[in-house]
Amino acid sequence: MKKIVLTRVDDRLLHGQVVVSWIPYLKANEVIVVDDELARDEFMSLLIKNAEPENVSVNIFTVEEAANYLKGEDTGSKILILIKNIEYIEKLLEFNIALNQINIGNLGSNSKRKKYYNSVYLSDEELNMLQSIAKKTEVEIRMLPKDKEIKLDKVNK
Amino acid sequence: MSYLECFLISILYFWGSSTALSFGVGYFTLYRPVISGLLTGFILGDPSAGMSTGAVVNLIYMNFVSTGGSFKGDQMLTAIISAVAAITLNLNMIESAAIAYPFGFLGILIWKYRLNINSIFVKKFEQEYEKGNNPEINLYNGFLPQLLLYIMSTAVIITALFIMNLIGSYAASLNRILLIIGFGLIIYTSISLIFKLKDNKFVLIFVGSLIITLIFNIPSYLIVFTVLLFLFFYRDKALIKTSYDMRKMSILNKRDLIYAWVIWANYSHSCYSFERLQGLTFAHSMKNIFKKLYNDENEIMEGIHRHSEFFNTEPNIGTPIIGYIISQEEQAVLNKEQNYNISFVKKGMMGIAAGLGDSFTQVVLTPLFISLSVVLCTDGYYSLAVIPVLILASLILIISYIGFMKGYYEGKESLIERVNIVKNSKIKLYFPYIFSGILGVSLGKLILFNYMYFFR
Repeated sequence: MKKIVLTRVDDRLLHGQVVVSWIPYLKANEVIVVDDELARDEFMSLLIKNAEPENVSVNIFTVEEAANYLKGEDTGSKILILIKNIEYIEKLLEFNIALNQINIGNLGSNSKRKKYYNSVYLSDEELNMLQSIAKKTEVEIRMLPKDKEIKLDKVNK
Repeated sequence: MSYLECFLISILYFWGSSTALSFGVGYFTLYRPVISGLLTGFILGDPSAGMSTGAVVNLIYMNFVSTGGSFKGDQMLTAIISAVAAITLNLNMIESAAIAYPFGFLGILIWKYRLNINSIFVKKFEQEYEKGNNPEINLYNGFLPQLLLYIMSTAVIITALFIMNLIGSYAASLNRILLIIGFGLIIYTSISLIFKLKDNKFVLIFVGSLIITLIFNIPSYLIVFTVLLFLFFYRDKALIKTSYDMRKMSILNKRDLIYAWVIWANYSHSCYSFERLQGLTFAHSMKNIFKKLYNDENEIMEGIHRHSEFFNTEPNIGTPIIGYIISQEEQAVLNKEQNYNISFVKKGMMGIAAGLGDSFTQVVLTPLFISLSVVLCTDGYYSLAVIPVLILASLILIISYIGFMKGYYEGKESLIERVNIVKNSKIKLYFPYIFSGILGVSLGKLILFNYMYFFR
């Protein structure tokens, strides 16, 4: 099993906050974007691969590929997982991947989602999923490393 | 201070923190302490005093980066208050920067509040759309949020000026302590910046240039001139190359593109909200495009609304996305079919452009040129100090405009091309060397200047 330092949920995936703040803060040297749709899109995979930050390798996998990859031998790299779809977290957990720390950064609004906390908008379904995930592993809402972390169950609704 | 001066300062503060109504370069010019200090100085009748203390504030805020609307403090408010303190209380540039420093936290309120409060306009826009009222996107993305911001920033700046007025004369009597605090802040930022570069050679360059400055005191304009010459020689030609393959256009024309770009550049953060970030601005810049593409009023509105979804990117590096999406919308009309892929592509591209963009425009270009301006101010070359900022502003404008056009004419590959240009940028490569040197020189100059002052 490889070493996962953080799993970040963010609509924007490999984004400014991740590149400028999180990667240096976590001292991560490997990023894995988990997204079935993107991984199957040739252009998007190419774009994301091309955008590798300095000294960080970036891979883009479907959930299944990611699970197989993460089960591989630990080569000492520190992995940051980026996901925009909460469902994929559940699937990774089903594949017995230990995600010890889940960070919710930014989930923008859409017609199904309601405001949950500042930059986090969730649909009822997503909230249920997160709450059941939070029973198994730690889930926090935190935009940047220097921000205060807010545990999922501590949000005053 | 007179009412007129207060009013002008409130306009200045609004304009700078708005980042709108300035083709997107306000954030790289007006909002930078060295320039906001200068302009406050102009209003109060002493531009050099304003600019010199602005430069010191800028040095303290040199590690300022804002990603997705979060950052450490409001540097512009700090600079304005600092300039006011320097001029009205007759404090030196470091003392006034120290007294103004806590005000940065007051200004951050606006940004926090603004991202929440702008949701009102998003909601209102949605409600009107639901009712079938065809809401004016200009109103909800442009006028209303800007009006609110003006009111909020005026309230903050008046409060700040009022507090300053109360504590000012008392604080001024503590000027020696302020000088020490000021130096502490400058040294703290410089050191944390140098260590962030993660290589001992930059520490050496920093210390070396500090010592050389203390001994030889080389005029800063010579240093800046050399650096600018070097940068010109090693400029990233591909990034600012103004030619691209112009294909024949069918429905849209070049004027439509320019118009859409102007809207984007001017309003990219106008209605910045946690809910949609730049979504409404994307929709706003598509308005004239859809007016051209569709004839039916409802179809136009439906198109605009479709693009008001969550969107966030670096507004200058990320422009190929908007250009490309415009070309896709045009193609969809030409082929008489709905392109369902548009939203997916948009969202996939936005993060990449932002990650790379922020680490280039905000982390490399801005500190590079702004530090050149700051070092000129520490030597008293105030008029020359405007030049690096003007170069920065032109670069940002060119990068933004070219990207937009390339995205339209050359397609999505232009974003991959841009990603690679930025990644292999020579300026990015040489940046830490120049930057650590310039920081060393700036600190040296400030020590020389204040040494005399401290022991008088």
